[in-house]
Amino acid sequence: MNEQRRQVLQMLAEGKITADEAERLIDALEREQPESPTGAAPRPNRRPKYLRVVVVDNSGGDGPGLVNVRVPLQLLRAGVRLTSLIPPQALTRVNAKLNESGVPIDLTELKPQQLEELIEQLDEVTVDVDDHDTNVHVFCE
Amino acid sequence: MIPQLVTVRHRRPDGRWLRLYVPVLPVLLVLSPLLLLAVLGGLIACRVTRVSPVGALRGTGQLLRALPGTRIEVEDGQTAFLISVR
Repeated sequence: MNEQRRQVLQMLAEGKITADEAERLIDALEREQPESPTGAAPRPNRRPKYLRVVVVDNSGGDGPGLVNVRVPLQLLRAGVRLTSLIPPQALTRVNAKLNESGVPIDLTELKPQQLEELIEQLDEVTVDVDDHDTNVHVFCE
Repeated sequence: MIPQLVTVRHRRPDGRWLRLYVPVLPVLLVLSPLLLLAVLGGLIACRVTRVSPVGALRGTGQLLRALPGTRIEVEDGQTAFLISVR
């Protein structure tokens, strides 16, 4: 156990912070120090496990607004695999409706393998949008 | 591993927190008769829509297994809502 984590647990034991705050601090420490303890060889290419979406909105007068979503990438993969269950006749109807709406996308051409590859490549994606009062941050961790 | 604990937290405008800890397995056991009906309904729906029931069950299982680690947190001024799956 490293020193910083021990300090967080000490503050929790002393009642200076809540369990929720301690969890957040430990999460933050793990993000900052993802490498293994001293002596061990650093692991290259540690695969991210979660997709994070953080939105901070300071425009409201009632205090800052925050949306913080953490979704396991495995959940995205499982969801993508479910799309292979959509029956062809349903896809045909969806295609027809998309065409009517002016979006000529043929969903039958979209294979589950391609969707899975898309999820795999999400590892590298980072989206940052900074406005005057609003920040949006999408990344994998 | 399916989710074991779902935590729901809600901070009211007066600053008080409402915390709800839902142990998934005991709740599933209590609701197992309803769950059985839901599975039967799902299988019938699969038949009607010509979706593979085995694939649907496998997909649902994969979704359930992937759920732990999910965390959704929304704060707006004094109000906050958090769902965490472990």
